[in-house]
Amino acid sequence: MASKTITPTLPDKIITGKEAGLVLCTECHKVHRYIPDAEQECKCCGADLHQRKPDSINRTWAFLIASMILYIPANTMMIMNVAYFGADEPSTIMGGVILLLQMGSHAVAFVVFVASVLVPLFKMIGIMLILFSLKYKVNMTDRQRIKMFRFIEFIGRWSMLDIFVISILAALVHITGVAEITAGPAATAFGTVVVLTMLAASSFDTRLLWDYKRKNYKNIELKQEPAAD
Amino acid sequence: MQVVVIGRSQVINSRILLCHECDLLIENQDVCEACKVQCPRCGHILYKQKHNTISHSLAYALTALICFYPAVTQPIMTLEMSGLSQQQSLISGSLILLQEKYYVVAILTFLSSCLVPLFRLLLLTYVTLSITLNYYHKSLIWSFRLFHEMEEWGMLEVYMLGIIVAVVKLLSMAEIQPGFGLWAYAALLLSSILATTVLNPHEVWDALLDRKTREEPC
Ligand SMILES: [Zn+2]
Ligand SMILES: [Zn+2]
Repeated sequence: MASKTITPTLPDKIITGKEAGLVLCTECHKVHRYIPDAEQECKCCGADLHQRKPDSINRTWAFLIASMILYIPANTMMIMNVAYFGADEPSTIMGGVILLLQMGSHAVAFVVFVASVLVPLFKMIGIMLILFSLKYKVNMTDRQRIKMFRFIEFIGRWSMLDIFVISILAALVHITGVAEITAGPAATAFGTVVVLTMLAASSFDTRLLWDYKRKNYKNIELKQEPAAD
Repeated sequence: MQVVVIGRSQVINSRILLCHECDLLIENQDVCEACKVQCPRCGHILYKQKHNTISHSLAYALTALICFYPAVTQPIMTLEMSGLSQQQSLISGSLILLQEKYYVVAILTFLSSCLVPLFRLLLLTYVTLSITLNYYHKSLIWSFRLFHEMEEWGMLEVYMLGIIVAVVKLLSMAEIQPGFGLWAYAALLLSSILATTVLNPHEVWDALLDRKTREEPC
C-alpha cells in the first residue's frame, strides 16, 4: 500500500518558524508561540522547547574531537586476542579484516571493513566538513549537506558491529588450553568512539544548515488572528 | 513585507506546519487523505496521514515480546571443538564479559542488544494497548517520548549481523551449531522492525493529545 507523497510548492519568500516567533515541539509536533528568554516547556507533552538545540555546534565539536582522539588507540592497540592451542594471536581492527581475507571470506571481510573502518572515518570527516562548511561558507548546496547528514546519522550505529562480534566471540570461545578469545583495550576505545560519534550527530541541529545565510532577514510582521467572537 | 497570521493561543492550532529539519514555515496545508506531506525545501516528511496503524503495531510488539524471553535466555549457538562443546546465550555471554572486567564492552552490548530494545517494546506495548483500550494516564505521554528518544540506541539488527560475522570467523576453527536462541532472536528482530515501521507516530500523538485535552486543554 504505497501512499501518495505530496510536496507543497516552496513559497517565494521563505520564512522559518524562528523568524515568525514560533517554536516547534520536536516530540509531539505541536507549534507554539516562542517566549524569549524563558525556559519554555511544551504544554502538550512536557518536552523542553528550543528554537534551535542549545549550544549545538559546540557540543558537536566536543563529541567529535573526543571521538577523534580515541580513534587512534582504537586502531593501533589490540582489539582481540585469539589463543589457539597455546599460541597467542593478537590483532588490531585492520588485522582482523586481513585475517578474514586470508580465510577467504571476502564478503564478510568487506562488511567488517566498511562497518569498522570506513563508517567511523566517513562519519567523523563528514560531521567535520559540515561544521567547517557552516563556519567558512564552503560551496555546498543545502540539499547536499542535509543528504550527507542524514546518511551519516543512518550509518553511524552500524559501526557497533565489531564490538558485538568481539563480545560474542569472547563470551563463546572459552575452552581453556584449546581456544580462548579475549577482548583487548582497543575494544573499549572503539566502543566509546562509536558512542561519541552518535552523540555528536544527535547534538547537531540540522536547522542551522539553513540559518547561516539568513541572518539579516527581519522583514516579517506577525499578525494575530481576530478573536473568535 | 510579509505577513504571517497566527492564532491567539499559546499553542498554534491553525494550519501552520514547521519542518523538523529546516524550520520552514508552511501555511494552509490542505489535508489530504492517506498521503504523506513532504517539506519542499529539505525533503523531510512533515506529516503522514495513515490511520489504523496502532493496532497493527500492537500485534507486532506483542509478538516481539513473546520472542524476547527465548531470544536472550536460550543459547544462540553451540561451539564444538576437540570434543568439547560450549554454548552461550545473550545474557550468559554478557555476564562472562562482566566477570572478565570488560565493563564498557559488556554494558554497551547488553544495553543496545537487549535492555534498550526490551524497554522500547514495553513502552510501545503500553502506549498502543492503552490507546486501543481507550485508557488514558499521564505517564503515556512521557512513555511515548522516551520510546522515540531511545530509538537509535536499540541495535537488534546490528547485533544480528554481528552473530553472522562471528559465525564466519569461527567456522575455520570449530563446529558451529545454531541454537534455538538464534531463531528466536531473528523472529524478535523481524517483529520489532515491523512494530516500529508500521506505526505512524503522528497518529499516536493525535490520539494521546486528544485524550489529554479532555482532562486539561493544551
Ligand atoms: Zn510537545
Ligand atoms: Zn524542511
